Amino acid sequence: MGCFHSKVTRQHPGYEDPVTLASQTAFSVSEVEALFELFKSISSSVVDDGLISKEEFQLALFKNRKKENIFANRIFDLFDAKKKGIIDFGDFVRALNVFHPNASQEDKIDFTFKLYDMDGTGFIERHEVKQMLIALLCESEMKLADETIEAILDKTFLEADINQDGKIDISEWQNFVSRNPSLLKIMTLPYLRYALPIS
Amino acid sequence: MKIFKADFDCPPWFSSSAKKLIKRILDPNPLTRITVAEIIENEWFKKGYIPPRFERADVSLDDVDAIFNESRDSRNLVEQCEEGSAVPATMNAFELISTSQGLNLSSLFEKQMGLVKRETRFTSKCPANEIISKIEKTAMPMGFGVKKNNYKMKLLGEKTGRKGHLAVTTEIFQVAPSLFMVELRKSEGDTLEFHKFYNNLSTGLKDIVWTTTDRGKVEEKDGDPFVPNSPKSAFTPKSENSLKNSSKALICITEAIVPKEATSEQQKAKGRMHTKCL
Repeated sequence: MGCFHSKVTRQHPGYEDPVTLASQTAFSVSEVEALFELFKSISSSVVDDGLISKEEFQLALFKNRKKENIFANRIFDLFDAKKKGIIDFGDFVRALNVFHPNASQEDKIDFTFKLYDMDGTGFIERHEVKQMLIALLCESEMKLADETIEAILDKTFLEADINQDGKIDISEWQNFVSRNPSLLKIMTLPYLRYALPIS
Repeated sequence: MKIFKADFDCPPWFSSSAKKLIKRILDPNPLTRITVAEIIENEWFKKGYIPPRFERADVSLDDVDAIFNESRDSRNLVEQCEEGSAVPATMNAFELISTSQGLNLSSLFEKQMGLVKRETRFTSKCPANEIISKIEKTAMPMGFGVKKNNYKMKLLGEKTGRKGHLAVTTEIFQVAPSLFMVELRKSEGDTLEFHKFYNNLSTGLKDIVWTTTDRGKVEEKDGDPFVPNSPKSAFTPKSENSLKNSSKALICITEAIVPKEATSEQQKAKGRMHTKCL
């Protein structure tokens, strides 16, 4: 508190007290402080304003600030809870909380559903999955015929879309994930518990 | 020499139990000298002692012999693979999507902490059992034992590295009728050694690799030898917004594999490949 706190707040808008953040999340106070070091490093990489911009996020993820990727965009949008186009420290910690090994499966499943429901309709529609699949194939430079892509989608929807209405709702998604737990692999970052550096 | 007569002195700060043990170890007479088993039972030695954990390389010698035994033809090798199980697990659309770099948030930590990826992938258009056999044939001369279980393999390094033996798990998934994704994960040992191992392995696997997503090396290298010979620009989405807004089918691609020597001019002339990715 006192001098240090106000100095930090001036440099880092959206900085929140680690003790508060720790109490709201699965992180310990020292883990939050360690996350702050990471946050500082990412948020100052392009413009030193204490906030993570889309470019800075792309730089941290791909080592290339110009690299556009629809999945990174989805993640960024979900981290940017206040819809301001930037991620502040509080957003950062609260979003990473879902990736903590101790976070609930339910929260992780919800996050992935929102991730893949690109237009936020409350359903993961077939055309959205197709778009994402095509983006992935582009990213990995895999060339597949449209029929092959359709076949992959058919198989996936056969398994996931229980009422066969061409879209996946949250309960179908929960069911699908329980049968395919590897889908949640991306939702846990073991680093968050063991490997965070202290300053 | 003094030691042959056990003529030595211990520093005064040695405890009496330490001195006694050392005296029994430095006994010139092998018949009366303390044995290792007795040392382990010694009270002074036991204080604070943590027994070492020896890792067992779980290699089945049968598998090793089968590969080296030249009287076996490749048909038998194939049968050996098919025995005891069905087909590689299929990867559904979401599992494929999950392999995107944009969904791998561990990268946020890796740069900051100097960590490197513990996992890498490549795709192949060869049949799954060919992939297995190729990996085996490449890994074994590199000093790795191979244990197979259906379409999962464990490669065990014979040499001890910085953090013990390197162990790599390989798993093959089916993406489409003749397309497989191979995942390699370090399960034990030093991650940098895993990187070195994979670099060497991929040289040997060149013939079966179709695409590789392994761009997560510590140093970014230009001219990745495993990028398929096709114009890169055709596949880099110009902007994610155009992808988002487009509602029509975006890609019309033939499945023909581009011959290795083809250049983009040859491709255009042949007119067989039409690629469009907005």
